[in-house]
Amino acid sequence: MEVLEAKNIHLGYPRKSGQKKVISGLSFELKKNQLTCLLGRNGIGKSTLIKGLLGQLSPVSGEILLGNRNLNELSKEEIAKEISVVLTEYSMPGNLTVEQLVALGRTPHLRWHGRLSQEDYQAVDKALTLTKIQELRKERISELSDGQRQKAMIARALAQESPILILDEPTAHLDLLGRHEIMALLYELAMKEGRAVLVVTHNIELAIESAQEFWLLISQDQMIQGPPEDLIIAGQIKKLIPGESFHFDLEKGKIVFPSEKLEINVQGPESLKFWVEKALTKANLKKVADTIFVEKDPFKISHQGKTFRSIRALIDDIKD
Amino acid sequence: MTRSTLWLFFGGIVILLFGFLLNISYGSISIPFSEIISGLISNDWEKESTRQIVLNFRFPKALVAILAGIGLSVSGLQMQTFFRNPLAGPYVLGISSGAGLGVAFLMLLGSAFGMMSDGAVFSPWSIVIAGSLGGALVLLLVSLVAWRVKDGMTLLIVGLMFGAGVSAIISVLSYFAGAEALKLFTIWGMGSLGGMSWAQVYALSGMLALGLIPVITSVKAYNGMLLGERYAQSMGIDPIRLRWLMIISTGILAGSITAFCGPIAFVGIAVPHLARIVWKTADHKVLFVASSITGALLLLLCDTVSQLPGMAESLPINAVTSLIGAPVVIGLVIRKNFSKEF
Repeated sequence: MEVLEAKNIHLGYPRKSGQKKVISGLSFELKKNQLTCLLGRNGIGKSTLIKGLLGQLSPVSGEILLGNRNLNELSKEEIAKEISVVLTEYSMPGNLTVEQLVALGRTPHLRWHGRLSQEDYQAVDKALTLTKIQELRKERISELSDGQRQKAMIARALAQESPILILDEPTAHLDLLGRHEIMALLYELAMKEGRAVLVVTHNIELAIESAQEFWLLISQDQMIQGPPEDLIIAGQIKKLIPGESFHFDLEKGKIVFPSEKLEINVQGPESLKFWVEKALTKANLKKVADTIFVEKDPFKISHQGKTFRSIRALIDDIKD
Repeated sequence: MTRSTLWLFFGGIVILLFGFLLNISYGSISIPFSEIISGLISNDWEKESTRQIVLNFRFPKALVAILAGIGLSVSGLQMQTFFRNPLAGPYVLGISSGAGLGVAFLMLLGSAFGMMSDGAVFSPWSIVIAGSLGGALVLLLVSLVAWRVKDGMTLLIVGLMFGAGVSAIISVLSYFAGAEALKLFTIWGMGSLGGMSWAQVYALSGMLALGLIPVITSVKAYNGMLLGERYAQSMGIDPIRLRWLMIISTGILAGSITAFCGPIAFVGIAVPHLARIVWKTADHKVLFVASSITGALLLLLCDTVSQLPGMAESLPINAVTSLIGAPVVIGLVIRKNFSKEF
């Protein structure tokens, strides 16, 4: 079921000489129970699109429907009850505790005096539980790691209890494990909680792992939509990477460096062969005359009658 | 609200009451606490002169110190949160400079046209009216700009420029003014909490109450602003509406205090930081009250210190607040992780 729908929207910023167009004529639907990833190159208009969806930038033409009401006609508070957001920018007072930060998410539900009710405290607890940061509850923001702070920001958005969750590069400053944790969490939220989750990301491999729907913003007037698997098979995903320099490897599901045809003959188990070839390519050894044999348990490489215990030893030998 | 917050409120109010009594008792003539308390409660004074000193001089002065302390701290806190800038204070929008301009016109030009009443003194009301008009004029100009400006930071810069421009006009007026008028204006610029009649104290209280109304209704919005304007919007807060409430509130608070007491430095910038450090919170439900208590206490203390022992003279309040305020701000800036905590 779609909860947020854009119909032929044009977005832009006013300039002295008319309009600076950023998005023109795009239509799409954000669905419940689904993790959608928005991918596109820097400066293509992703952030502008997000501003539009948040009601912070009105479309020049076209309309954005929330439920079945026009976003323009809703008050900020009404929108806030439907859409919560995690942005890339943050200016945060360090003396706020995690609990207080998450409680800020209750703002649209509070009365003017801003006092939290029992119900509000429950929502905060639930958000802390879902993001698995209950034990950080009393910690101050300034003392958290980047990953913990990002989880706290996601918890704040969750406490807002909106059916739609929009995140702009939520994994940007995180380590490998942190990125996987966050994406797994977002996937879980979409599935278990039935929310519509939209994630802007540059991490294509991670996005393929977790998203059910891809929005590929190719240019200001072209957005390719569909499940990532369909887009990969149809070769559509290659449109993200124009030019010849890099290409998307269909089998590995990732972007790879361009490489010339290898004139190396490596024999042995597939898993080992892959890494040896990779190392030789990076060492710029694209042509090796004799066959290289690799063996597993114990790891051993044989070349021209010599035996090596590591790839480095092999490379050093060939270079000599 | 946590227990420690409430204890700090309680402790702050007790110290404030003590400071209030100390302020009244201290001066060229010392008056014991017991006499002040019994006098204020039962209106039973040992000497008529004591009654005169307490009721018509020291009591209103202490009250003005409390009122100005509250007003300046609350406007400073609003500015710092709205602009997300630790150096913002009640004067950044130039409204107080506007009040200064009004007074400068009265004193510097007025004297040139022989408008001085009874020799060399202006009536206090004429100063208040001139200050209010000047403040209101700049408030109007800032509002006109605010109408067109989109983001908070631009407004901050425009406000600072207004302040600079108005100060320049004051400099020009000062350059051409006579020595006597210039001295009067300079002394006004050093600030003064005393010498107000009860009618003026009531008027100031009324203005303050008016200026605090927008604050009370936007506590929730100020908390939302902690994460910046875009997050605030995403949580249903209208930054434009908050901007207007802030301009109106600080315009009334800082403008009227400047008109009545002259420009009082540092309280507005330093007190919100002190409150954040003592109460260890960023929650405005706590911070507005905490800043009020701290501000009232600080200004009361400064006023007590400004009384030179054994003399009828007292130091100008502005010099004392700056002498106390500057080390506080320096201490804050070199404190570790200060910027992270703001």
